[in-house]
Amino acid sequence: MRTLVAVIWAASLAAQQPLRNPRTSPEDIALGAKTFRSHCAPCHGMHAEGGRGPNLASGRFYRGSSDANLLTNITEGIPGTEMPALFYMEDRVWQIIAYIRSLNAAAERPAGDVSRGAALFMSKGCIGCHRVGGEGGSLGPDLTGVGKIRSIEHLRQSIVDPSADVQPRYWVASFKDDSGKPVEGFVMNEDTYSVQLMDLNQQLHSYQKAALRGYKVEKVSKMPSYKDSLTGEPLNDLVAYLASLRPE
Amino acid sequence: MKMQRFAVTCLAAICFAVLVRGQVTYERLLNAGKEPGNWMTYSGSYRSWRYSSLDQITRQTASRLKVEWVYQMPTTLMVETTPLVADGIMYLTEPPSNVVALDAATGRQYWKYRRELPNRINVCCGQVNRGVAILGNRIFVGTVDAHLVALDAKTGAVLWDVRVADHTTGHSITVAPLVVKDTVICGISGGEYGVRGFLDAYDVATGKRRWRFWTVPEPGQPGGETWPGDAWKTGGAPTWTTGSFDAEQNLIIWGTGNPSPDWNGDSRRGDNLYSDSAIALDADTGKLKWYFQFVPHDVHDWDATQVPILVDGEWRGQPRKLIYWAHRNGFYYVLDREKGTFLFGTPFAKQTWAKGLDSAGHPIRLPNIDPSPEGTYIWPGVQGATNWYSPSYNPLTKLFYLSVWENRSVYRKGEQEYSPGNRYIGSVPLIDLPEDPGHGAVRALNPQTGERVWNYDLHTKPWAGVLSTAGQLVFGGSDEGHFFALDAETGGEVWRQNLGGIIRANPVTYLVNGRQFVSIAAGSALFTFALAR
Repeated sequence: MRTLVAVIWAASLAAQQPLRNPRTSPEDIALGAKTFRSHCAPCHGMHAEGGRGPNLASGRFYRGSSDANLLTNITEGIPGTEMPALFYMEDRVWQIIAYIRSLNAAAERPAGDVSRGAALFMSKGCIGCHRVGGEGGSLGPDLTGVGKIRSIEHLRQSIVDPSADVQPRYWVASFKDDSGKPVEGFVMNEDTYSVQLMDLNQQLHSYQKAALRGYKVEKVSKMPSYKDSLTGEPLNDLVAYLASLRPE
Repeated sequence: MKMQRFAVTCLAAICFAVLVRGQVTYERLLNAGKEPGNWMTYSGSYRSWRYSSLDQITRQTASRLKVEWVYQMPTTLMVETTPLVADGIMYLTEPPSNVVALDAATGRQYWKYRRELPNRINVCCGQVNRGVAILGNRIFVGTVDAHLVALDAKTGAVLWDVRVADHTTGHSITVAPLVVKDTVICGISGGEYGVRGFLDAYDVATGKRRWRFWTVPEPGQPGGETWPGDAWKTGGAPTWTTGSFDAEQNLIIWGTGNPSPDWNGDSRRGDNLYSDSAIALDADTGKLKWYFQFVPHDVHDWDATQVPILVDGEWRGQPRKLIYWAHRNGFYYVLDREKGTFLFGTPFAKQTWAKGLDSAGHPIRLPNIDPSPEGTYIWPGVQGATNWYSPSYNPLTKLFYLSVWENRSVYRKGEQEYSPGNRYIGSVPLIDLPEDPGHGAVRALNPQTGERVWNYDLHTKPWAGVLSTAGQLVFGGSDEGHFFALDAETGGEVWRQNLGGIIRANPVTYLVNGRQFVSIAAGSALFTFALAR
């Protein structure tokens, strides 16, 4: 009886142990990288930086961050998403996970101070256009989870050169409406016949294109560049703050 | 006596009518053009014109089109179905592999066949299905777990269910089968999984396979020399869009897909026959009569999975059996249907990969067009200048209509090794450029010259096929969810309706109780229109 209890106790303990990746050698990581580039990169990017699928390099995952979570998500796929199941032997999936973990370990850590960056976010007026945790303006992208989906370099670039990479949602349409009044705003949606805008006063409008004159869309950002006004340590601080925006 | 004879005659007529109703014979399929009230094959007829001689809905009356009924599908998957209509009953698929029979006048359901599927189904581009085939009292459907199933047309009961291929190795069926005589012709998907493509014929009564044509020949067979080593075993060339049937010549004419892996051709140096080709097979034996390869050694994923339009017409003053074919690679082709010879080709959309076509129809490639590790920008994009969605030919206007994409992709070359059931694509293409998404159009071509006759611009790239009618209309749809009718002669918009969901399907038209209906799938529903009473 005592033996039986001991066996049950040992089994229970084993069940509580986190799954450990048995394939973590440099060779495994290299093979995992090869598989990743073949099968995962079309959605997750060549360096796991994200694309159609989320960034996997940052070490934060939407569907669980443990190795066991990753193993399940890769082998079974994620229902309701575009993530397919893979017909791989488990060892090979572990190699992919080892590669992802190697990227996580190497993920750049921002050099700046998060609390000073948070203060800059307020004092420089960022909060006027960007929302974080439900607070702030709505002209620019909501930055609540930006640390999860953008690399450090991308965050830095967005501050000093905002037009370098503008999401279509923030392209700017300009035209004269049917009364001849000039209109400018962000393209929230557009089809062959109509366009839906948020103007610079954060008002929503919908127009039939046939009634508009001089309709054009520019793929530039309305955000001012902070290239000259924010450099060195303050820039690092602000980047560090944005990178810290990673709610669970 | 006279009265008795009259009664017998009446009874015979009624019996015949009952027999005909619900009995879609091969003869009826062969003469589908004479029954415009029905839509009995994927493309409306064996010649695949997606044209109807119904003319109740015209340029003058189309403005009165209203939604007559809607059938909602309980799915989040993409709906690509083309419904069939026979004698007042509509048969359509809903993804992944279900079949529904509806009253075509009201949309009310008679029955539904729900396909139970294994947990792991890997289909490159969504678990979709493009429709069924019909013969007698049987409905035929291919499934994403690579089975072909025959159902009782009156109840949906399974009559037979055969495994066409192993779904765990990336095989699936998304194509609508085509009944030819007493066989069901069925293709296969899996060009992104390194399958070895084929086209099959199955006995309609038993499900027994009559023949299989491998679209990738093995060593020692004609064409086998175009594959090095074992590359033929994973060579792709699937057959995932319904082809056509030339009854006079007894030829099945079908398009084949890309060679595998898609964007890295290093492991398959050679022309890679019969990928990206039109193939003509003897309908009784499956033997190859001729082929025409549009893109030898394709490295851009430019499948020849378009619907071949068969026309008996004049070519340069002489009567000739022709095929009109607008290909994913951006070129429009005219082929001879007896021998498969190339007659003519010209771009119908922007393309930056070929200087033109030589006298045999082979592309004269420009330098530096292949995928590269750093990326190569090429028009058309990965999804092509057109794709699987159907074109139409209208014998009244003598114009060829199609949906067109004007966009480019970044073709990148990666490394690839084959593992069964996993993607075997050889690269990381950037299919859509966020900063340059391109645009689309519905376009009318003079099929004899390839010249553009008119163009209906679309802000986005359409995945909807087109239907033309004797009402001088062309019906088309957009990714934005608009279903519209255009003047077949000018391209002018006659009517449009926002359906609120992406349209990735082909329209059909039919007649019930003297009213013409037009149907198209949008979002996860099927919408059917008729003129307001």
